Amino acid sequence: MEQDLQSQNLQQEASGCGTNSVDAILDELESTGAAELLTRAGPRGLRDSLQALLRMREFSILSATILLFIALSLATPLFPQLDNILLVARQISILAVIATGVTFLFISGEIDLSIGSIYGFLGIVLASLIAKFELNPWLALLVVVILGAAIGLVNGTVTTRFGIPSFIVTLGMLSILRGGALLASGGWPVMIKLPRDDPFLNITSGHVGGLVPTQVFWMIGVMAIGGFVLSKTRFGSHVYATGGNQEAAILAGINTKWVKTINFMITGALCGIAAALLLGQHRNAFPLTGTGYELDIIAAVVIGGTPLFGGAGSILGTFLGAAVLGMITNGLVLLGASAYFEPVAKGSIIVAAILVDTLIRKRRV
Amino acid sequence: MEREETLPAATSPAAPTAIGERPLVELRGISKAFGHVQALQRVDFCVFPGEVVGLVGDNGAGKSTLIKIISGAYQPDSGTILIDGKPVTFHSPRDAMMMGIATVYQNLALVDQRDVAANIFLGREPTTGIVIDRRRMVEEAVQVLQQLRSDIPSVEVAVGLLSGGQRQAVAIARAVHQAAARLVIMDEPVAALGIEESRKVLRLIKQLKAQGRAVIVISHNLEHVFSVADRIVVLRRGRLAGVRRREDTNAAEIVRLIVGAEHL
Repeated sequence: MEQDLQSQNLQQEASGCGTNSVDAILDELESTGAAELLTRAGPRGLRDSLQALLRMREFSILSATILLFIALSLATPLFPQLDNILLVARQISILAVIATGVTFLFISGEIDLSIGSIYGFLGIVLASLIAKFELNPWLALLVVVILGAAIGLVNGTVTTRFGIPSFIVTLGMLSILRGGALLASGGWPVMIKLPRDDPFLNITSGHVGGLVPTQVFWMIGVMAIGGFVLSKTRFGSHVYATGGNQEAAILAGINTKWVKTINFMITGALCGIAAALLLGQHRNAFPLTGTGYELDIIAAVVIGGTPLFGGAGSILGTFLGAAVLGMITNGLVLLGASAYFEPVAKGSIIVAAILVDTLIRKRRV
Repeated sequence: MEREETLPAATSPAAPTAIGERPLVELRGISKAFGHVQALQRVDFCVFPGEVVGLVGDNGAGKSTLIKIISGAYQPDSGTILIDGKPVTFHSPRDAMMMGIATVYQNLALVDQRDVAANIFLGREPTTGIVIDRRRMVEEAVQVLQQLRSDIPSVEVAVGLLSGGQRQAVAIARAVHQAAARLVIMDEPVAALGIEESRKVLRLIKQLKAQGRAVIVISHNLEHVFSVADRIVVLRRGRLAGVRRREDTNAAEIVRLIVGAEHL
């Protein structure tokens, strides 16, 4: 009798693999536990810690920045002096302005190798407009910002409409514009003759209160606006989606080609601003300015935790990346290291940063 | 329960498919060819409000073509599509979406690095001025996931950290929220999932049905089809091979319809 019942049960279980068992389980799931499973707004529990891991990008670069600052301060008392800090800040300002645009580009999954050339070329154009065509410096600045955006439009259009990798397109642009800068200047520096107290010079490269370089304020302004756009606006959200999963972004109605093209244009326009900041400082534009600069800028972005293939990253990270590069250059000088050692140190930092990022990514899976 | 009332355009949880009720979507004599391949031949199909239809058939039977016609991705060569009894023409998935038809793609189309709320609102982020209305996104995302009885712990978790079933829930939540969907089409929703995760997705489908929405599910897994579908529609080589109510059929019959009786 008992055996009969048991075998019946077994039979039921065996034959019930179809509709009934799944139904029963579903019903059970629904009647129990449902309240506990409800979705919440904030992070919690295990996911909380996993998410913290995901945020590690910025966490690791932030800790690296702080550690480097402490180490250099201990190594040389000159380092933590206010005027030295301001010097470092000024030295990274121009790089950080361009790197802001490059961060947008990287997050959307594209790269621009022509930034150094755009920067150098626009410097020559800006100086020529002021010196030879006697254009008002502010009007000239507006012209080069628009010209920079137009160069970005070309980079972006060729990349997105014809499906050519931006690496190749901008490698071509790098060469074209370096040649352009040499042709436009005849290979000679272009000097601008503005009175010492000209507001253009003061605003691009003066000091506020005789102490804080205005370039630092340009950097803060550009990065604050960039960070706001990236994290708070629809466009910023679409930049992340474009680089994160382009197919999904397209299905969601996002014009990913346009998003990328705008990012090329932002980058080009920021090269124009950067050119003005440098011209104000030197009052001379050199046709070879910005040669190899793209590598420093890309290094800052990558050290700051923005991956080359897009979908993640932040302006804060890029700022910290630029700060690390600036502190290394400055620290090596203060420590009396050979100038030839600087590229070695920079290169090592770049590889180390990517290595840490890759190890974290592997753990995430 | 009262939360369900706040859901946009969800019809009341009506008794499923009362006889004589008007179909939500009806296809009449739909044909579609790709070059020399006749993908669909004079296929009739309908789905009622609050009904789950299982769409089955062998590879190449025309299942995908049929749902792409319903979701507006393809235009039929001939035949009529009726919604609420009125003939319509879809030129794009957007047209279908406007009529409350949402599709959950097999690859889910999620951005792994972004969080759940951002994915649910992908491409349609609400704003106040120029700033994204993050609070509204989070609130509505929580609401729609709660209605689906999803087990996603937080809408502020990156989608890449979720399980397969939870990702499916995010994709469904987006479809539901986006189109205020009256009909949700799912292409192989459990194909890549384990047993436990599959059950969760099947539960989601039941939840959609309980909210009065219609669901079309394509699946190769007859067990799953039998567990959720009210009716099972079988396609074979682009033609309608049969339509059965779940309670009037069994797996053996459906398999016969899928492969063609002459093969058994």
